[in-house]
Amino acid sequence: MNVTFPTSLAELFASLAEPGARVLAGGTDLLVRLRSGRDASPALVSLERVPELRGIGLADGPAGQTLRLGAASTLTEVLEHPLVHELLPVLARALAVLGSPPIRNMGTLGGNLCTASPAGDCLPPLAALGAELELASARGLRRLPLEAFLLGPGRTALVPDEVLAAVCVPLPEPGTLQHFEKVGRRNALAIAVVSLAALLRLDASGRVMDARLAWGSVAPTVWRCPEAEAALAGRRLTLTALGRAAAIVRRRVRPIDDIRASAGYRREVAGNLLLRLAEL
Amino acid sequence: MMRADALDKALGRERYALDLAPADCLWAGAFRPGGLSGVAHGRIVRIDATAALAVPGVVRVLTAADVPGTNLQGIMHKDQPVLCGDVIRHAGDPAALVLAKSAQALRAGLAAMRADIAPLPGVFDPVLALKKDAPLVHAGRAGGNLLLGAEIAKGDAAAALKAAPVVVRREFSTPVQEHAFLETQGGFAQLLADGTLDMTVSTQAPFRDRFEIGHALGLDPMRVRVRSPYLGGGFGGKDGATVQCLLALAALHSGGRPVRMSWDREESILAGYKRHAVRLRYALGAERDGTLTALSCSLVYDTGAYAHLGVEVMELGMEHAAGPYRIPNVRVTGRCVYTNNPIAGAFRGFGVAQVSPAFEGLMDELAAKLGMDPAALRRKNALRRGDVNPCGVRLTSSVGLAECLDVMESHEFWTGRTRWRADAPRFARRGTGMACVCDSMGYGRGLADMAIAKVELAEDGGFVVYSGVSDMGQGNAAAFAKLAAQELNQEPGAVHLVQPDTALCHPSGSSSAGRTTYTFGNALLRACAAMRAKLLVRAALPLLADEAASLELAPGVVRRKDDGRSLPLAALARFLTRDDRICVAEFLMPVAQNPPNTGKGFAIGFPHLFFAYAAHLARVEIDELTGRVRVCDYLAVTDGGRVLDRSCFDQQAQGGAAQGLGYALFEDFRLERGRILTRDLSTYLLPGALDLPDIVSLAAAGNEETGPRGLKGVGEVGFDGAAPAVAAAIADACGLRLRHLPFTPERVLAALRRGGKAGRRA
Amino acid sequence: MRLCFTLNGQALDIEAEADRRAVDLLRELGALDVKEGCGTGECGACSVLVDGTHKLSCLMLAAQLQGREVTTAAGLGAPESPHPVQAAFAAHGAVQCGFCTPGMAVAAAALLAQNPDPSREDARRAISGNLCRCTGYVKIVDAVLHAARAARGEEENGDDNGGGAT
Repeated sequence: MNVTFPTSLAELFASLAEPGARVLAGGTDLLVRLRSGRDASPALVSLERVPELRGIGLADGPAGQTLRLGAASTLTEVLEHPLVHELLPVLARALAVLGSPPIRNMGTLGGNLCTASPAGDCLPPLAALGAELELASARGLRRLPLEAFLLGPGRTALVPDEVLAAVCVPLPEPGTLQHFEKVGRRNALAIAVVSLAALLRLDASGRVMDARLAWGSVAPTVWRCPEAEAALAGRRLTLTALGRAAAIVRRRVRPIDDIRASAGYRREVAGNLLLRLAEL
Repeated sequence: MMRADALDKALGRERYALDLAPADCLWAGAFRPGGLSGVAHGRIVRIDATAALAVPGVVRVLTAADVPGTNLQGIMHKDQPVLCGDVIRHAGDPAALVLAKSAQALRAGLAAMRADIAPLPGVFDPVLALKKDAPLVHAGRAGGNLLLGAEIAKGDAAAALKAAPVVVRREFSTPVQEHAFLETQGGFAQLLADGTLDMTVSTQAPFRDRFEIGHALGLDPMRVRVRSPYLGGGFGGKDGATVQCLLALAALHSGGRPVRMSWDREESILAGYKRHAVRLRYALGAERDGTLTALSCSLVYDTGAYAHLGVEVMELGMEHAAGPYRIPNVRVTGRCVYTNNPIAGAFRGFGVAQVSPAFEGLMDELAAKLGMDPAALRRKNALRRGDVNPCGVRLTSSVGLAECLDVMESHEFWTGRTRWRADAPRFARRGTGMACVCDSMGYGRGLADMAIAKVELAEDGGFVVYSGVSDMGQGNAAAFAKLAAQELNQEPGAVHLVQPDTALCHPSGSSSAGRTTYTFGNALLRACAAMRAKLLVRAALPLLADEAASLELAPGVVRRKDDGRSLPLAALARFLTRDDRICVAEFLMPVAQNPPNTGKGFAIGFPHLFFAYAAHLARVEIDELTGRVRVCDYLAVTDGGRVLDRSCFDQQAQGGAAQGLGYALFEDFRLERGRILTRDLSTYLLPGALDLPDIVSLAAAGNEETGPRGLKGVGEVGFDGAAPAVAAAIADACGLRLRHLPFTPERVLAALRRGGKAGRRA
Repeated sequence: MRLCFTLNGQALDIEAEADRRAVDLLRELGALDVKEGCGTGECGACSVLVDGTHKLSCLMLAAQLQGREVTTAAGLGAPESPHPVQAAFAAHGAVQCGFCTPGMAVAAAALLAQNPDPSREDARRAISGNLCRCTGYVKIVDAVLHAARAARGEEENGDDNGGGAT
């Protein structure tokens, strides 16, 4: 297997044009797959040294200010960035419980997105935040909302000569409550069994004006529940209101059984995690 | 004390077995057709090595036909093929051995191996395996799938239970557990020109390995040399041949080249030995004041496809099945059963780990039923020195259980338990639980628990201790070096320790059973005493002394006590032949005298005389929304006689408890018809640094007069207390009694939904 | 490919297969303190510092070492001058079988380089990617805090008489 290190987007696209070429981002998912005999390829193209794919900063987006996160940024870089900490605590919280310190030092934001695991820790927060993705190819740039990008377990809307260049997150309104909880079988190096990201805007009397909820590990990809969000509209975050929304969630969600948890457990907990919002 | 080997390990300078492998090794790997296919029981129709042999770099493929000797390995029962010829009996059973020139060639060669396995009906439940028409794991075996049925009977348990005013009856189960040592199984070997088979391997039993290899491959054990460097963990999983017979077979076919074998993590999980899963049915009877009168239980141990140490594990579990209590009427029946599950063998706690959650679960429930404080119930029935234990053995050895309870009960974790529970935050329940356990030391009756220590005065005036027992991390090597330096009154740096090497050291039994510091330590004390006596006499003439009593050993010298005139040990060494610079002494662990005839069907190992005791406490917080149980605090109070080295003592207690907490909460080994579903460390979860509390380890004051410096082995008892303490804490938190390990979030949440009540006991 | 990188302070210029795993290459180059415990990034025994950052060599390819400074546990300190973390591990009972120890030392050294005054929780988080089967982590965490104090000149990294947790 050949490994190349392009130093610009142009070089990157040229390398990716080689037959069978695959992208190597942090390697934390890819090398595990290679070990078990999957995803063998004659050529790996590293994103490590392509400056256009890194960098975190404020940018103007179509609907206002966004925080633009270079896709090849390591998870640690994103986690430790002051703007992420300040403006996107829901994402920071997810990153803090993803993997382990060395995994975060190596893995990239783009890699977590392109692996598109149903349990990907970054995915519910980015979905709740309404993130848009910038996809780049020799033909130029296109943008896709996150939820149009994630097609299913391990499947994304990337076409073969494209790379994920950046994640653009619209800045939440000041005062938005941001919450994330991951349920795993242990506190680090654990694939999520259920996770919940929530962004809530409350009015002066504590009633919900806008709720964006996104669950992980309970569906082929990130799962939204507009009915639960609607059930919270105009209510305060009481156990009663949250309990009603939780019941809706449990009725609608369709998780699977796997080695880490049963569908029944996932269904139960997916609803229960809403109750935690009473602590906000 | 700083362990002498600790700095080297921290500097990355320690060399484990595979680190020592020469550069020009051939690579050997086992082909395990059941692994990928998930077939646990099948007839080997055909092994096809054609494609494998065509891989560049693959040298040979060996099958059962190439195995000389009996092709059977095993420690006591030899029923495990080195390479299967007709039948595979578990998913990890090896059917061929591939030899290659490089790691890559080996991997490619193994991937190219093909086998036709015709599935046979399998049996995966030990209770079902005992039914009359169950498929046989070993075809044609008299006794079917029952490896051993045994019984312990003292008094009349059935009658006493009938008469008891209070009885608790319950069923429990414990799962398979994976050792998951960080260093997987491996080693290297070479057939030398003189016919010696020279092997370096990560092993807990280098001396016995020779006999296991010899029997399996038709070799003279005395022509097999086994060297045992420091192990990267053992815990029982490297007691008994793992790679040894395969490696020896490979070496016989390598044309004199060294050959190496290393199991990667997936192979270690697939093929390595496991802790026995056990089903337990218990009944405990008592008076209304809490005095225990009867215990009756039946135990079924799933030993997997081959015997390994199954019989011994079950026997030890049976011996401990009634806990550290005075109970006049006891009946324990045990059945050790073959199935097509992975091979179960030795694992820290060795049968006792499985019975502890059962007897302590009943004790805890009994206390609740009687409205008694849990510690008070334990104290009321706790064994003391001189008591007769549940097996009928009079405990003439030290018993520190009451002392453990004293320390535990005065700790703020115990005294503050009401407050702890009341302070539970929203969506959480808190509880405190305790457990008392004991675990024997040594082999018990019928098998000599013996060690032979050799000490040499080196030519440079220093000393060499030849250890006969492997150091798997318990620190015995450093302890021996320290002991010898103290006995011989030398600087610590003057004593050099040689790790077990069957050509240089003397047989001293396995590194297991909490015995190595006690047994080898005692032998070493004797050898040092002999050395001291010898050197004083040898130095008398040069020092113009006419009585040995007028001389003493001092760092680097023998000297006269009166005027300090001294003879350097290096000089003395030059006057002596090598023979004369060596002292060898042995020690045999004492055994229970006049053992009771309460055990029926026991071959060896019953009963024991020495036990370590412990009282454990866990404080937990249960999340009502997810069922996750967090152990917030943990206390282990251990009686190990006199504490020789506090740091080593704490290491054993903390390490044992940590593994026990893994067993109780995190480690969920999943099998489906013999196929392992938790194939690697991403699904078989060990607790990490964010999952465990600061385990507090305290020592109960004690003294075991027969032990070196008064100590007893404490390597295993620390494991046994964790699951029962956590179960009791969960019960305290929400009134739910969980009897099936592990207490996964799913099980806890389901139990909470079925109806737990905060702060109330069932 | 031609691979130029620094290993424990020594500049190397070698021929290596680009897709060789870093852990295998490093061990072949003599860094036997880099251990393979799982091969899937779950245990941390293969931990190394790459340009000062804690990474897992079992999940890296040789090619990714190009131009980098790689430090293994053996490169953190020497017998006469151990790294404060190594001295503390030895002095405070943090070593049992020792197989996880080189990786733990790397993780701890990376922590102290970033945070000279870590809390127990910080220390636990820093080693949360390193499994230990022997110790239960207590004495490892103790040792990390002792190392931090010693590095700040607040205590001697000397013998400790056991003393259990905290």
